[in-house]
Amino acid sequence: MATAAVFPSPIAAAGTVRFLGDEAAYWRLRIKGAALVVVTLGIYRFWLATDVRRFLWSNTEISGDTLEYNGLATELLVGFLFAIAILVPLYMALALVALELDMVALKPVLTGFALVALLGEYALYRARRYRLTRTVFRGLRFDQHGSPWRYAIYAIVCWAIVIVTLGLAYPWTQAFLERFKMRNTSYGDLQGRFEGSGLSLFLRGLPLWLLIVGPIVVALGVLSAKIDWDTLSRLIDEGDDAETGRMIGQMLAPGIGVAVAALAASFFALLLLYPLFQAVKLRWWISGLRFGDIAVTSRLRVGQVYRVYLRLILYLFLLGLLAGMMGGMTVFAVVGIVRLAHNATLTQVAAGVISVLLYVVMMLGSSTIYQVIVAAGLWRLGAETAALSGEAALDGVRATGSASSALGEGLADALGVGGI
Amino acid sequence: MTLATDSSAAEIAPPRGAAIYFDGTCSARNDVEVEAGTAGLHIFGADRRLLDEWLYAELRRQASPDGVLRLGRSGETLLARLEVRDPAFAAAIEDRAVTLDRGGAAERRLRRKVVILSLAAVVSLMVTAIIGVPVIATRLTPLVPISVEQKLGSAVEKQIRSTLDSKNLGAAFSCGSGASGAAGQAALDKLVGKLKAAAALPYPLRVEVVRRTEFNAFALPGGHIYAFQGLIDRAESPDEVAGVLAHEMGHVAHRDGTRTVLQAAGLSFLFGMMLGDFVGGGAVVIAAKTVLRSSYSRRVEAAADAYSVAVMRRAGGDPRALATILARVTANKDEGIKIFEDHPDTKDRVAAINAMAPAGATVPLLGAADWAALKQICAPSPTAATAPPGTATTAVSGTTSGKASASEPEPAGGTNAGGGQK
Repeated sequence: MATAAVFPSPIAAAGTVRFLGDEAAYWRLRIKGAALVVVTLGIYRFWLATDVRRFLWSNTEISGDTLEYNGLATELLVGFLFAIAILVPLYMALALVALELDMVALKPVLTGFALVALLGEYALYRARRYRLTRTVFRGLRFDQHGSPWRYAIYAIVCWAIVIVTLGLAYPWTQAFLERFKMRNTSYGDLQGRFEGSGLSLFLRGLPLWLLIVGPIVVALGVLSAKIDWDTLSRLIDEGDDAETGRMIGQMLAPGIGVAVAALAASFFALLLLYPLFQAVKLRWWISGLRFGDIAVTSRLRVGQVYRVYLRLILYLFLLGLLAGMMGGMTVFAVVGIVRLAHNATLTQVAAGVISVLLYVVMMLGSSTIYQVIVAAGLWRLGAETAALSGEAALDGVRATGSASSALGEGLADALGVGGI
Repeated sequence: MTLATDSSAAEIAPPRGAAIYFDGTCSARNDVEVEAGTAGLHIFGADRRLLDEWLYAELRRQASPDGVLRLGRSGETLLARLEVRDPAFAAAIEDRAVTLDRGGAAERRLRRKVVILSLAAVVSLMVTAIIGVPVIATRLTPLVPISVEQKLGSAVEKQIRSTLDSKNLGAAFSCGSGASGAAGQAALDKLVGKLKAAAALPYPLRVEVVRRTEFNAFALPGGHIYAFQGLIDRAESPDEVAGVLAHEMGHVAHRDGTRTVLQAAGLSFLFGMMLGDFVGGGAVVIAAKTVLRSSYSRRVEAAADAYSVAVMRRAGGDPRALATILARVTANKDEGIKIFEDHPDTKDRVAAINAMAPAGATVPLLGAADWAALKQICAPSPTAATAPPGTATTAVSGTTSGKASASEPEPAGGTNAGGGQK
């Protein structure tokens, strides 16, 4: 009795990372999923999210073995319901507070916003834990510890610092947050670390910052130089708002041209350089990941990321063209019918239905295109250009950890935050 | 590897195949040979040692790339995995293990159930929104205390006032001050007094005319009614103004503002909360809210029209005056977007009002002098007209210190008094 004497081993060499998935299959998955999500008014999104993660995880091969996502759609649904149970009273309380206090005042609005942002960061951290504990590799699961509230506070403070420094502090805050997250991440008993430095990201991103934020800073400088602060403070003391406004307008008027030009320059720089920013950030992030003795490196090229975004623009343009044509034809057809029927109510309902349909198609279409071309595209690029060193350690990891609840996922979903 | 399918053979050799095995305690990859026995899979290691036995009943398929059969065990905390890459052997295992859901049929059935149930949920959501929400809102509205309504009204009022007051007139946005304004306000108070007596509402009603040229009036929760200057200008008799004011009093009496807030909150809850975050959801929410709100409004406006007719009759005025002014004002306007308009087709309203109200001669609710004064309620103060433009704003804001400006000495007092005594 001949037995299989050959033990087929994986084709890839140790230490390589590959993405095996086929883009056409992913298109089908996403398009069918989007249609079902609309038809079920959103309830199907938990199944779509689970399918997407199964596809992406299962097709990511590290050192010859693929990741596995073993989360269930029902877990996400339960997490969502749980989150609703928390959010409904919270929103009620916020509404009551708004009613008691002066609704138009700035302070309650800001506090409410800060609260929601805090809750969002909390949800993101817990959602990350859910996804990690549902990720299985070679029979062992990943895990995440650490207090989500602590992370949320750190994240909010970091965002405040980034805003105040007009983005200059971003590299260091990102490094800090990633170090926190990775310090609390483990694969089996292999401890995670993050070794990307804020300084290296800063140096690589400084030209970008100068080109995008620089013009805005210059514009602000020019405008503030034009303001006669003494006259202005005198007018504010007098309390005549209309007069103050007029005076500000007069003082700023000569600088308006410069300000508009600067804003335009900044905007175009942003559009052109955004892919570069994404590339720099992704490469920096992947190159900083560590698990025990295993280090990840990235040879991601900026050109590859630009190609991804150019594809995005092309597909969005085609979608717009298609929607425009379909919309135009439908409008013609409907107007013809309505003119025969002479019914005013029918026009409205028809007009309403067409606009809603067109809007939904555009939104779903652009979202699906973005997910397939950019989100999954960058995932594939990141995987294909990553490599492991010290991967011998992959063979000796031992199991620890347990699964977590899907509450974070539910909160993140209900609050509208979270990525893949 | 032999796959004996001939049952007449003396010994049916169980299929064997190569696989990759992870035991779930350590990440080491083990190349194993698997034998698909009668009760389960026997896993043999490199030295032909039996590593483990997995019963068919425990086998579960896990997510895997195409072409790989990844097996796990149910009821185990360890995440041991067995990966089979040979399609023929994988098929043999699937034949023997019923729990594996070959081809994903069970999963598809589950999803179909999800989609069908979701569609049912959508239908039920729509029914609740169209029928349930207005009923619940109507039941809840009487339970809201008047003090809460007034708080709601004043909270909303600040926002509405600043939106309407586009020229930022502030206190001068309200008419009824200055010499001619005060007389007009007195006439308005007389008119409103007659309506209040006929209506006998438990609300402290307050009517204010503001400087907007559109023909409109609205009532806030809590009893504060705003009328636009455009209404006063376009009215040809005091009863027409009274009819519109009585219509707004109807909204106050029926607590329409509060009910609308409850309905909007209910719709927001249903469509906002329940649906969560998905692309295209925003459009559904807005569309649903707009359509549903418009259809509620039509009934509410018709009820307010009926209230106006009843109050005008009791007050002794012309109940058809509301219909008259509506017909006149909208005579030249197009039909427009009916379903999205909060006020139903004016022709229908006019017909309905005239059907409810008996035709007949009535005495106007205000005398000629009072009516003339009311028409002038928004006349600008004469000092503003003669002063240079730069100080106009300060002049107007200087005189709107309550209504006690009648005794203020004015340089052009002569013309003003003359204008007031028509």
